[in-house]
Amino acid sequence: MNRLNRMMAAAGRGAAWLLPAGRRDWAAALWAEAHEVPPGVERLAWRAGGIWMLGREALLPRRIGRAVLFAVAAAAAAWVAWPDSSVLHAAADQFGVIATVLLLAGMPLLARRFFGPVGDNRTARFLRVGGYAAILALIPAQAVVGPYPLNVPRQAPDLRVFVADGNSIHGMPGTSAGGPPWPGEIFFLILTACYVVTIFWLTSRRASATPATLAAGTGAGIVFGLVMYVVAPLGLTQYASNPWLPGSRVDPFVALAWILLFGGPAAASVLAARWYCRTPGGSVKLAQARAGQGIVAGVLANLVGALFVTVLGTGTAALTIEVARLRPLVFHAPHASGAAAYGHVLHASQHIQTYIIMCVIFPVIGLMMSGMAMACFMPVPRQSGPQPDGGGGPPGPGPEPPPPGGRRADAGDRVPVLS
Amino acid sequence: MASRSEFSAQTLSVLAALSDQPSQWQHGYALAKQTGLKSGTLYPILIRLADRGLVEACWQDEPAPGRPRRHLYRLTAAGLASATGALANAAERAAEQVAEQAAGRAGKPRPGAGKPRAGLRPGPAAPGAVAGMTP
Repeated sequence: MNRLNRMMAAAGRGAAWLLPAGRRDWAAALWAEAHEVPPGVERLAWRAGGIWMLGREALLPRRIGRAVLFAVAAAAAAWVAWPDSSVLHAAADQFGVIATVLLLAGMPLLARRFFGPVGDNRTARFLRVGGYAAILALIPAQAVVGPYPLNVPRQAPDLRVFVADGNSIHGMPGTSAGGPPWPGEIFFLILTACYVVTIFWLTSRRASATPATLAAGTGAGIVFGLVMYVVAPLGLTQYASNPWLPGSRVDPFVALAWILLFGGPAAASVLAARWYCRTPGGSVKLAQARAGQGIVAGVLANLVGALFVTVLGTGTAALTIEVARLRPLVFHAPHASGAAAYGHVLHASQHIQTYIIMCVIFPVIGLMMSGMAMACFMPVPRQSGPQPDGGGGPPGPGPEPPPPGGRRADAGDRVPVLS
Repeated sequence: MASRSEFSAQTLSVLAALSDQPSQWQHGYALAKQTGLKSGTLYPILIRLADRGLVEACWQDEPAPGRPRRHLYRLTAAGLASATGALANAAERAAEQVAEQAAGRAGKPRPGAGKPRAGLRPGPAAPGAVAGMTP
């Protein structure tokens, strides 16, 4: 034990040099104080705490760490997604990448200004980090999948599939047939902004969503997203997605997906409302706060579900485009011809926009279902006070009985008035 | 929505320990024993409080023989004011929560209100909702 203690003391003294100059005194203070701690396990624990503090202070000036992590991830995503300038709509794609990264970089500052700091719990931080990771992952996936249906293939069999699939050729084989998709880029940017703002608001301290509320919504959303991914791993096109789970095996999942789409937010909202019990100020305020928590959980459930399935689905489609070896596995067609595999990939990339529709519609459904659930299961009681029909509740107390030997005062009595 | 303290429960416990004897210098180990915090939690809190000018620190002038000099801490004037306000707020909030929960358990109907509905009964108190918030 003594040896371990001495080793830890030496390690701590050495590690103190990792700290900024202004912090080294504190490390020295902690080590000096260790001499006052009873020897043995307690002193060892004290020094272990010192090592932990050194790690935190040296490695985690947290904001710097997070900023560096974000910068690295954003740079990697932008580098992968950066379009070749030979592509016809390179300018729009470049705008999309830059604007999305700028949006993600600037949003924490704006959110802090308008929504306050992040909620003081791990679930809120996990949601923010998860949301950022999802959007950063979507940037390169979209960049791969988006232009794919517009690229005129070179090979004759693929070209026939391309034309048979309803694509009229406005370009030469090997070029892109698409025009600049500015409206699409702008719409996608607005949708991303809405998601980021919503996530920041729901996880901010000012929104006061409890960890239980966030956990209920996020949990329901992840389950829903996974089920949706099983049902439609490549968008809602049967030609691309059906081989994944052919025939009747998919039916229970389809039913489950419908149930989770409408029932998930309702269940999450009721759970979140029932778990909430911390608002002072009477039953009306408590019921209102519970309804607020329920609606947050319901919206979050479908928002997380939509984002989850979009990232997984778009990522899978991008991988099938980039990694040829994955195609037989994803499409359950080990012996399919190249043209058939190309047809599947083309279909998947054409219909990947259905995820965008999900991203728009699902949170709205979540809002509606949680609102209905709150109205049905957690109604807000009326404010107490006089009501037209006399209101409910027990009858009020009757008049006080007269004191023994006394009588009731009447209008004729003179009442002394203090002046 | 209820307003929140600017300090965490752990920081409040450190402030409470320091404000017990605001004029006295205190050692880190004594503070750890008083608050029940580990050194890895206590010292970062002291660092943040010192950065904000709420705590002042100095080295002991005359150390015990054979021992290194110890670091000493006490609240500054601003720290004392801030601690007093924060601890009073925390105590008030804790009292409100206790009262609210007691009212909920009793199920006492409010004047003019109808029969209490099953769905509106407050649930059990969140663990630690009150602990650590009282000075």
